[in-house]
Amino acid sequence: MADPDLDFTTAESGASATFPMQCSALRKNGHVVLKNRPCKIVEMSTSKTGKHGHAKVNLVGIDIFTNKKYEDMCPSTHNMDVPNIKRQDYQVVNITEGFMSLMNDSGDVREDLRVPDNDIGKEIESKFEAGEDFMVTVICAMGEECAIATKMMTSGK
Amino acid sequence: MMAALGAAEVITQLESAAKVLMAPPSMVSSEQRQQAEHVFLSFRKSKSPFAVCKHILETSKVDYVLFQAATALMEAAVREWILLEKSSIESLRAFLLTYVLQRPNLQKYVREQILLAVAVIVKRGSLDKSISCKSVLHEVGQLISSGNPAAQTLACSILTALLSEFSSSSKTSSIGLSMEFHGSCKRLFQEDALRQVFVMTMEVLQEFSRRENLSAHMSSVFQRWLALANQVLSWNFLPPNLGRHYIAMFEATQNVNLKPTESWREALLDTRVMDLFFTVHRKIREDSDMSQDSLQCLAQLASMHGPVFPDESAQVSYLAHLVEGLLGMINGIEIEDSEAVGISNIISNLISMFPRSTLTALPSELFSSFINCLTLLTCSFGRSAALEEVLDKDDMVYMEAYERLLESWLTLVQDEQHFPRGCFVQPAVQVFNSYIQCHLAAPDGTRNMSANGVASHDEEEINELQEDDRELFSDQLCSIGMMGRVAADHCIPLLTSLLEERVTRLHGQLQRTQQHLLASSDPGSVDRKVLDDLYEDIHWLILVSGYVLADDPQGETPLIPSEVMEFSIKHSTEVDINTTLQILGSPGEKASSIPGFNRTDSVIRLLSAVLRISEVESRATRASLTELLSPQMGKDIVWFLRRWAKTYLLLDEKLYEQISMPLSTAFGADTEGSRWIVGYLLEKVMSNLSAWSSESELANETVELLVTLVEKRERANLVVQCEGWWSLAKQFANRSPPLHLLSSTVQRSLMKALVLGGFAHMDSDTKQQYWAEVLHPLQQRFLNLINQENFAALSQEEAVKQEIVATLEALCGIAEATQIDNVAQLFSFLMDFLSSCIGLMEVYSNTPETVNLIIEVFVEVAHKQICYLGETKSMKLYEACLTLLQVYSKNNQCRRRGDASAEEDQYQDLLLIMELLTNLLSKEFIDFSDTDEVFRSQDQGASAPRSVSAADVVLYGVNIVLPLMSQDLLKFPSLCNQYYKLITFICEIFPEKIPQLPEELFKSLMFSLELGMTSMSSEISQLCLEALSPLAEHCAKSPDKDTPLCMATQHFLKLVFDMLLLQKHNTEMTVAAGEALYSLVCLHQAEYSELVQSLLATQRDAVIYQRLSDAFRQLSASSSPPTMDRKQKLAFLKSLEEFVANVGGLLCVK
Repeated sequence: MADPDLDFTTAESGASATFPMQCSALRKNGHVVLKNRPCKIVEMSTSKTGKHGHAKVNLVGIDIFTNKKYEDMCPSTHNMDVPNIKRQDYQVVNITEGFMSLMNDSGDVREDLRVPDNDIGKEIESKFEAGEDFMVTVICAMGEECAIATKMMTSGK
Repeated sequence: MMAALGAAEVITQLESAAKVLMAPPSMVSSEQRQQAEHVFLSFRKSKSPFAVCKHILETSKVDYVLFQAATALMEAAVREWILLEKSSIESLRAFLLTYVLQRPNLQKYVREQILLAVAVIVKRGSLDKSISCKSVLHEVGQLISSGNPAAQTLACSILTALLSEFSSSSKTSSIGLSMEFHGSCKRLFQEDALRQVFVMTMEVLQEFSRRENLSAHMSSVFQRWLALANQVLSWNFLPPNLGRHYIAMFEATQNVNLKPTESWREALLDTRVMDLFFTVHRKIREDSDMSQDSLQCLAQLASMHGPVFPDESAQVSYLAHLVEGLLGMINGIEIEDSEAVGISNIISNLISMFPRSTLTALPSELFSSFINCLTLLTCSFGRSAALEEVLDKDDMVYMEAYERLLESWLTLVQDEQHFPRGCFVQPAVQVFNSYIQCHLAAPDGTRNMSANGVASHDEEEINELQEDDRELFSDQLCSIGMMGRVAADHCIPLLTSLLEERVTRLHGQLQRTQQHLLASSDPGSVDRKVLDDLYEDIHWLILVSGYVLADDPQGETPLIPSEVMEFSIKHSTEVDINTTLQILGSPGEKASSIPGFNRTDSVIRLLSAVLRISEVESRATRASLTELLSPQMGKDIVWFLRRWAKTYLLLDEKLYEQISMPLSTAFGADTEGSRWIVGYLLEKVMSNLSAWSSESELANETVELLVTLVEKRERANLVVQCEGWWSLAKQFANRSPPLHLLSSTVQRSLMKALVLGGFAHMDSDTKQQYWAEVLHPLQQRFLNLINQENFAALSQEEAVKQEIVATLEALCGIAEATQIDNVAQLFSFLMDFLSSCIGLMEVYSNTPETVNLIIEVFVEVAHKQICYLGETKSMKLYEACLTLLQVYSKNNQCRRRGDASAEEDQYQDLLLIMELLTNLLSKEFIDFSDTDEVFRSQDQGASAPRSVSAADVVLYGVNIVLPLMSQDLLKFPSLCNQYYKLITFICEIFPEKIPQLPEELFKSLMFSLELGMTSMSSEISQLCLEALSPLAEHCAKSPDKDTPLCMATQHFLKLVFDMLLLQKHNTEMTVAAGEALYSLVCLHQAEYSELVQSLLATQRDAVIYQRLSDAFRQLSASSSPPTMDRKQKLAFLKSLEEFVANVGGLLCVK
């Protein structure tokens, strides 16, 4: 990051699942790993022990896959792991036996992702059955992936 | 329902319902309970229940039923007042009073309710003069003279009920009468009846105070009368000719001062009145409940002012008598805990209410005894307050009393010029010393020491919501700071020496701890107690020093306090300026090691002492001892430096009558001293930002110091000459460590500071170079990134996301730096980014946190800049915002998210969008740009045709927001408020745009208004009502009466009509609803007549019909035919109020 002419094109290969960040630099709405799960930070506050104590950060996060709530507290000087989060939109081309066939911008198709077992999953199935052209947003973090949103295909894009 | 039943059946039904209500929760089902409640509710609404109620009162044995009967009587009497014969009202009142008299054993709550009914009847009767207070008071007088304690208690209860009923207008809605009616009742009462009550009360108290050995029973009667006396003296005397709005405002004030009318002169200036209260207090002071009342009575007497005093000498002798009485009361007693607050109230009232000339006209001996007494009391309360803190008491009575006295001191010393010269110096020294003593640890002070001299020390968990001491105790610190200035000769050197001594101790302690750490590998073995004690001492010393040396006026240029300036001038002949500068310039050395150290300017020396503390801190961080330091102390240091810099750095000699040579030599413009200190402060900022990135509050205050240094041009000119500034700028622009660890708010403020610095005076080359180093890298990096061919593919890479977030944060910071003289440049710079940001909206459409931040950038730019922008520039911004909203809408329309934070994210987006729209609308009423002057050089001749207006953008935005505003989202209060504020704004500013809206949008807007009017909080209901008038007025202007808007307003006419006339509503809404009704009536006169006719048609009772139709006639008489004319509107509103008072109650009856 120190190099202003950093070439971002090389960032893709070898990207690790998480990277460390000083606790105080985390932000609400950002992400953090709590109890080994990738979470979205929904609450962040600080406290200290005694008037002259050092700050501790209290975090409340929601697991981005399971919606479970986790809490943690740590000294604000410590590093926390932040998950690399990727969101990608795919066109749904087929559904067979609970698996989606998804096509990305460049026309590559993958078939390894299940229809999630929740409201969005039902939405995906009913849209597909109705023959609609639509996209799904797939979120990916720490080796896990899941479809979290649907979007109508827009003509321009 | 009730009418059909005989009285006996009614009683049976009510009694069994009461049984259900009184039963334990496990015995009855909730349906049974609801049913029983319903029985009582409909009973209370029944028509003319007088006979039944009397019968119940006489026969039923169930208290709760008696209570309900009394309530029903009271409500019916008010509701059906105009239908009742005056004689039957009078007999009803007499019945109730006799009833209570004859039944001494009634339950208290039943008796009070019946007396309340009496009071309400008396008050309602005073409107048409059908009932006079005199007869009631006469009966009360007889009760008192009976000498029977039960009768006397009853007498007191009757008076108490009368007083509470007449004292306020806030109960308006409960009896449905206008504020003006309440006001005139109150005025009438306070001139005559109230004084009679007062005289009676004095007689009773006199009687009691003479008796020895009161029995417990008598003593409780005594207590009631004392409370009544307090109620009389706390009467909020209503001045004549106060309008309705003011009455409400007037009555909302809490601490009521005694300001009786002239007619009270004889009653209150009689010295026996005051003496009586001193005597009473002496008698009962050990009873903590009663002494509250007696002291409060005295405090009210101490607040007396106004026409009651015939002339100044009367006021002086009144005050002298009061002060003598007070000193006599306090001297020679040990004050009870329960007396502290009361006594401080007496003192605080007399100091704030009596004119200075009256205070100084006191005999000088009396005045100085008073000041002495006040000094001793203040110090003693201060010590007791410190004890309370150690014991962690819930009820901090001494703290409250202490604060009140400190406040009184502040009032006194601020008016010092009125008093004999120097008369507050000694008291100030004592109060100041005792404050310092209470806040320092042993051996210098007594902090944390309980009464037996044992020090306690505990570490509690403190969360971020807890206020910092400097805010929590700002009032105290303000007073102590002022006292410190009054006695500057003593206090400033004292603070300096206490601080300097602690510099040495802190330095030594840190060294010892470091050695200890080197020897032992376990950092847990460090005893922090000694360090924490030192930190706490330094914490308070710095706070007090900051408050002594400078003020912090919001938005004004703070001046060096005149006392401090005079103090420095007075000693300037004894001062060696070079030594002073040497001590200032060597924060790393011990002050006493510099030859001639005692010939320095004390004001500069105090700053130097804080700099020495700061230096110890900085060195410790360099020695990796940050862990051992106190972030709190770090905050205190930068807080002090910031406060100091605002006042002293580059002081402007033109602003002072006289100037101290040492101060102007050290900190004036173009001095070595000011250059040095700016350099030092920058170094401090850098050191803090790298050592304390993890302490967000400290980092925040550090950047605020930086902002302070550059927000004024003169200081900024000096700052940009410093090496340190440039390296900070470069580091930040390169996002190199450690600045990138800072939290986002700190980064924003840092960006703001760097931009502000760029507008300092520099030669053009330097300036160009500066911008090339600060702003251009930001732009360059951003453009390089987004212009990559495969940017869309890379956009989810973590490094890319971070870069984007950092850029967006920086843009917010740049917008925050906007000032009138830089807006031209910053706007052009930011505009380039805004269009790229819209591209980002597409790329990151599935990344909510980024979308949110992008909208925030627009919000900030609109917020900070729109008011300065001329037409062309505004247009550009409107267009950009419009595109942003279009993209947002497109991306979210056919999108469904299933994740947990979906709703929260959407809520945040919508809130920002509405904020953006409101900011854009604000251009309509805050506009500094009438000539486009700031842009003249760039905008020559460019007057493009107006393509987009604020209204278009805002309505388009509303179009996006509306479909997304689900009822669920409206449950977020802040969102709901912002939404209704926005739509009311729109209706008020652009009523002409409303009919042009697309059909769907128009419908949902109207639906929103209806929803807001009928089923939201009263605040929102009021907003919606306010939106109706402009809409109706707009319709009235247009010839076409078939428009959808016109139809909609017709619907609203019915809604408002029902709301005002048929439903019980909040009286504060009557005005908004009345205005809306009037505009709607003007527009739809025929429909209004229909509404009236159909309402009348439902009335079966001929008398009610007649009353109603008369009332409606009177209502429209003042404005017929109704037109949109202000005068007529006001007349209508006035009649409406009478209308509601007269028949409102009738219509509410089912």
